[in-house]
Amino acid sequence: MTGLGSATIRVRLFAGLRDAAGWSEQEWPIDLARSPEAVWQQLQLDGDLQTVRVAINHAFAAADEPLQAGDELAFLPPISGG
Amino acid sequence: MQHPPHLHIELLTEPFEPLQKLEQWQQERNNADPEASAAEALFIGRVRGQSSNGQPLCALELEHYPGMTERQLERLATACGQRHGVHHGLVLHRIGRVLPGEAIVLVAIAADRRGTAQRCCQELLEALKHEAPFWKREWRADGSGHWITGNTPW
Repeated sequence: MTGLGSATIRVRLFAGLRDAAGWSEQEWPIDLARSPEAVWQQLQLDGDLQTVRVAINHAFAAADEPLQAGDELAFLPPISGG
Repeated sequence: MQHPPHLHIELLTEPFEPLQKLEQWQQERNNADPEASAAEALFIGRVRGQSSNGQPLCALELEHYPGMTERQLERLATACGQRHGVHHGLVLHRIGRVLPGEAIVLVAIAADRRGTAQRCCQELLEALKHEAPFWKREWRADGSGHWITGNTPW
């Protein structure tokens, strides 16, 4: 693999989203990961991004926020705490 | 801008006794300054014996996002405490497998006035239910597990 392809982000899934996908985390090439929205479409997960919240590096973020190599991107299904 | 409140925030993997935790928290505050806060509001949430479809519930499984959940609780409690001008906040939340009747969440707020303490306590509880990454899975009597998407009625 060339240097261009070696920079990645980490993608994480939780709870029902993870169970449906069958994986909890994977590396994704940064040159494909323009935004959380773009990654969501490439992953072809079940469900609508409207019902999922996005976090980048442990903070909520917008679906169109730009990503950088080394970022941790998480897709969070509806929260049920307390 | 108000001073940020003193916070004690903890995720607990084992069952806890809310009244013991409250006593500890009060004692620590009393040692530091016995006259600091005249009002305290608290909420204790326990696991119901029934699942969302009315079947008996065997256990609730609490998943969280390590790192983000703690950070988000800190952010929510700081913002809420500062907005209301409270002195101290205590937030304890279970993770892992929690049984019916066991405490799952404890929120306590100490402030100068009852209104401030009660409003902050209520607001912080609602905030953590909707804005802190926790997910509940119900384990039912038939052995099936179901992720809950959303919160119980207020």
